[in-house]
Amino acid sequence: MKKNRLLDLLTNNRFYKSVFRHDYPDNDISRSEVVTGNLLLHIQSVKVHKNTIRTGYTLGLGLISFYLFVILTITGILLMFYYIPSLERAYNDMKDLEFAVSYGIILRNLHRWGAHGMVAFVFLHMCRVFYTGGYKQPREFNWGIGVVLLIITLFLSLTGYLLPWDQLAFWAITIVAKLIGTVPPESILGANLSQLVLGGTIVGQNALIRFYVMHVVVLPLVAAVLIGVHFWRIRKDGGLSRPAEE
Amino acid sequence: MDKKEELVIFPKSPNKTYGLMELTKTKSFQVESGPDNTVSSWPHLFFRELLLFMGVFIALMIISLLFNAPLEEQANPSNTPNPAKAPWYFLGLQEMLSWTHPFWGGIFIPTVVAIILILVPYFDRSQKGVGIWFAPERKLANLLFTIFVVLAVGLIVVGEFLRGPNWQLFWPWNMPSPH
Repeated sequence: MKKNRLLDLLTNNRFYKSVFRHDYPDNDISRSEVVTGNLLLHIQSVKVHKNTIRTGYTLGLGLISFYLFVILTITGILLMFYYIPSLERAYNDMKDLEFAVSYGIILRNLHRWGAHGMVAFVFLHMCRVFYTGGYKQPREFNWGIGVVLLIITLFLSLTGYLLPWDQLAFWAITIVAKLIGTVPPESILGANLSQLVLGGTIVGQNALIRFYVMHVVVLPLVAAVLIGVHFWRIRKDGGLSRPAEE
Repeated sequence: MDKKEELVIFPKSPNKTYGLMELTKTKSFQVESGPDNTVSSWPHLFFRELLLFMGVFIALMIISLLFNAPLEEQANPSNTPNPAKAPWYFLGLQEMLSWTHPFWGGIFIPTVVAIILILVPYFDRSQKGVGIWFAPERKLANLLFTIFVVLAVGLIVVGEFLRGPNWQLFWPWNMPSPH
């Protein structure tokens, strides 16, 4: 087979080989090395069952959830450059994002709509796994991790909801805080839980910084680790669920 | 290879119902394996994954160019909106806690639902119908889960679109203005 000369120039050199640890993947050996020669091996097998790439089976829902998480991480980091979690600054920073920062409103829109999308797609992904019986042995534990990831997604979205510090944010979190305060016995557990979440008795500066830290550090970190375990378990449990072989 | 030599290397056995037909050149060999139902991750899977990412990003970008994220007036603790609503994905909870003591609808039921969801695979242990959408062997499981989905989504729809001032029920076209 005659090789493309440009491709040869790009891939047949010391730099390419120092990075990729294999030749350009145009034969079965180097194609398998794309996986086995990389960190990727821990989450992706060299070969996958044909059912795995059947669009009508997974509908790509889990992957879409993950992609939204990636987009949210990137846009979130960029937003952190423009947002100060203080009562004096937070709302004005929202206005600045809309009117002063170049493409700031698009950045915020991507983050906001991406977050709504992630909640929806994680839920749809759970429905797909249920309706295809994908949670059955040996995938029971991975289903459980998935449920926890759904809950974390909800909390990620909730903690982000307060940050714009507008009426929508303030009163939504006030409702949720009241809810937390109802855990019985209310005077002991409920009140203390609410105090822990808000850092006080009202939604104020302490609540804002607590929600911010949870939103940008703690929850994304936990989510990233669990997503890693979730993917690794797919591989260890034998790939995506599929019909029994005839 | 003449006939005699071939018989020495591949002797005819009366117990065999098959024989060597021919040698062919292929890209890889597989010994004692059934029909292969796999494809290489590279490129078959990875290109589809890349394509999906592009699709997701383009779709999200189009939505973000068309619609602006909501931003109301600055938070004002002395001005309570009526009704004050939680984010849409918690409106099912808010709907439930308007019926009973908030603890039951807002904390107890969601916690129990989450625990039941995690435990589902340990109760439903039959291996029938795995990998098939709406497998007929799983009618009961699918029915129960569908009830859960309809309730979860239904309560959110009620909370989002049918609840107005003082958490009263209104049809969307009769909904009083919030201010």
